[in-house]
Amino acid sequence: MSMLYDEGQQAIATESRRVLDARMDKGRLLALLEQVGGIDQPFWDTAVEQGWTALALPEEHGGLGLGLTELGLVAQAAGAATSGAPFLTVGYGAAQALLAAGHTGDLAALAGGEKLATVAFAEGSAPLPAKSVVSFADGKLNGTKPAVIGGLKADLAVVLASTNGTPVLVAADLTDVTRTAVPSFDNSRLYADLVFNGTPAVQLAEGAAALGLARDVLARMAVVTAHEQVGGAEALLNIARDYALTRKAFGQPIGAFQSIKHRIAELYGLIEVARANCIHAAASEGTEEFLIAAADARLSATEAYDTASRDCVQIHGGIGVTWDQGLHLHMRRARSLGIEQGNLLFWEDLLVDQLAGEAA
Amino acid sequence: MSELETYRQTARAFLNAMAPKYARPARQGNTVEQDLALGREYMAARYDAGFAGINWSPEFGGQGLSNLHKIAFDAEEMRYGMPVGFFGISLGMPVPMMIHYGQDREFVKERVTKALRGEEIWCQLFSEPSGGSDLAALRTKVEPDGNGWRMNGQKVWTSWAQYADYGVIVTRSDPTVAKHKGLTYFWVDMKAAGVEVRPIKLAGGDSHVNEVFFDDVRLEDNQRMGEVGGGFGLALHTLMIERYIATDSAGFGPHLDLFVKLAKETQLNGRPAIEDGRIRSAIARNHAMRAGLDSITQRAMLMMQAGMQPGPEGSLQKLVAVRSRQKLSELALDLQGTAALPFDQHAYVKEDWGTSWLNAPTGRIAGGSDEVLLNTIAEKVLGLPQDYRPDKGIPFNQIPA
Ligand SMILES: Cc1cc2nc3c(=O)[nH]c(=O)nc-3n(C[C@H](O)[C@H](O)[C@H](O)COP(=O)(O)OP(=O)(O)OC[C@H]3O[C@@H](n4cnc5c(N)ncnc54)[C@H](O)[C@@H]3O)c2cc1C
Repeated sequence: MSMLYDEGQQAIATESRRVLDARMDKGRLLALLEQVGGIDQPFWDTAVEQGWTALALPEEHGGLGLGLTELGLVAQAAGAATSGAPFLTVGYGAAQALLAAGHTGDLAALAGGEKLATVAFAEGSAPLPAKSVVSFADGKLNGTKPAVIGGLKADLAVVLASTNGTPVLVAADLTDVTRTAVPSFDNSRLYADLVFNGTPAVQLAEGAAALGLARDVLARMAVVTAHEQVGGAEALLNIARDYALTRKAFGQPIGAFQSIKHRIAELYGLIEVARANCIHAAASEGTEEFLIAAADARLSATEAYDTASRDCVQIHGGIGVTWDQGLHLHMRRARSLGIEQGNLLFWEDLLVDQLAGEAA
Repeated sequence: MSELETYRQTARAFLNAMAPKYARPARQGNTVEQDLALGREYMAARYDAGFAGINWSPEFGGQGLSNLHKIAFDAEEMRYGMPVGFFGISLGMPVPMMIHYGQDREFVKERVTKALRGEEIWCQLFSEPSGGSDLAALRTKVEPDGNGWRMNGQKVWTSWAQYADYGVIVTRSDPTVAKHKGLTYFWVDMKAAGVEVRPIKLAGGDSHVNEVFFDDVRLEDNQRMGEVGGGFGLALHTLMIERYIATDSAGFGPHLDLFVKLAKETQLNGRPAIEDGRIRSAIARNHAMRAGLDSITQRAMLMMQAGMQPGPEGSLQKLVAVRSRQKLSELALDLQGTAALPFDQHAYVKEDWGTSWLNAPTGRIAGGSDEVLLNTIAEKVLGLPQDYRPDKGIPFNQIPA
């Protein structure tokens, strides 16, 4: 796949940004921070209406047959808008796992937005635990997956569990699962502990294949998230630039002070490096390079978004730390996205293992 | 296979054939003079094989191919360590400027061919003791002298001036107007009476830059390039020509693979250093950064192939890559402990952490310092305001020294 966006891809980028610009509302997003269990319904309705849930699924399962590049562009727009629901990424990840395992029954409902799916891999500091605390035996799951993204509302989940110490990847209907909300600094992510108690589940893969599939799905979600991070970082760069041009101190715009303008120029560098990595990763979907490219994208995008939120707040002075100004929406999102889909430490290790030829 | 890929393969075949005689291993232990002589030979061979002036017009001995072809060839050639450093600036900026602005076209043609063949070298005389970043602060002055000009003053940091036959130079022709308005651009014969070149030894031990003094040097008016008072515009043009160059995400230092190898071979706390979190983090972050720069380059190439203008993100290459090379080289030395102390000043900067580290600072200064590049990105790409400039608009001769 080419690293240059074609006309259709450019149209997806502009259109998704246009729609979200028109429909997003900062007040709504701020209110969501102070409640547990709510998502920004107008955002999710837009996502379904625009077909974003179907974008990267095959046509025979009700999808649009596009790929990571297109979904990445939508995620970038969603990131710029600090969109208030996590399912674009985790729904895509779950669908990819189901698809890879040939377990396609729910895909059409996921594509159409009638069902919500998530991925339950991480356990605390282990994004991809080889020996999950959730056990799978006799077709049933037992144990707790902590802080699952979208866990409060998802209808089904792809779960990384273990059978007698061997990793297994399973799909479970979440209807009868006990969900304990996890109040967080970014509540529209719908984090919840999922307590499995004899929950029926279907095995998708086992052993090394299960870990391999989970890793591939995680890498794909990381690439989507990296795009979202780039979108957020770029929005912050623009906000910082505009503020630096208008706010005056000591008789000149603050953007004329080099400690401000150089900081913004450095952000530009971080963002462009991350963007280029994202484009490369999405374009290398399905190739041998993909895992390394995904790690590069993820590392640089997390650095860009965290740095942008730190610096953009700083450039605003006092107004930057107020609730209503809302920069903390990005600051919170930078960190929640940085933790979801594998933290920096995880991706650093994974990348070095690959480079040093010590990959599993 | 694309036409460009075919071209790349032809280039590789040529370079492979040249390698035994001219590539890095063959140059080991050469004095600078021997290396220069070898370089001239290589340039002539390269010219004869049709790989010189790749993106220049055939009228001036060029091949008439695209910028992409040139970048492709340069990227291939860079891998071999050919003795081309002496000619980089010459063919990069001064000679193309002569093609654009040289008045005597026959003279220009002759010079271009000789420069492409490595028989003549051109230098670029911009920076002065009074300012490098602040180019328009220069003081070397020209005064009318009959039907020509007389030049007095001093340049500094002039790369390869000691081997140069000619140079392009920016001078002050009118000190009574604002500083960037009173400049005029010329070419100068470096062997002319009154030109004195004194090499400057750099921290890394070599002396490829020089001070150049001009004492009543005579310039004919046909050595003038552009209008009287138009020198600043031409200077900017000179600095723009080099947009189409091969980039190196390693910052012209060692490849990251060499660091990974070092980390596997070096023991730290009784384990291979590649297992140490600090080392792993450095490797991963550098990889992500370099991969991003490589993707920027690849995309720029694709855009040019598609007839599009590459984005301004290309201007990040040197800024980001050289800084990181400097830090990674420091870390590589630190990692080795006392084993890093043995030092060979002639070791190849793309293979040796010691010389890479010691010479890295020049990369952050030459060709626009980090700070100036950040200013350019902030102002030209992001539209942020210019710095406060107290000398703005003031006639040059009234700016307090
Ligand atoms: C190896 C080497 C080869 C070179 N070859 C050539 C050559 O062939 N021809 C030629 O003409 N020149 C050459 N140069 C000169 C080079 O272009 C200048 O050194 C460079 O432009 C910096 O100028 P300066 O040395 O006068 O430093 P200064 O301009 O005095 O800068 C000193 C410090 O101040 C900072 N600074 C300056 N202005 C600003 C600003 N507006 N905002 C923030 N910080 C600022 C700089 O970043 C730097 O850190 C070479 C230099 C080197 C090191």
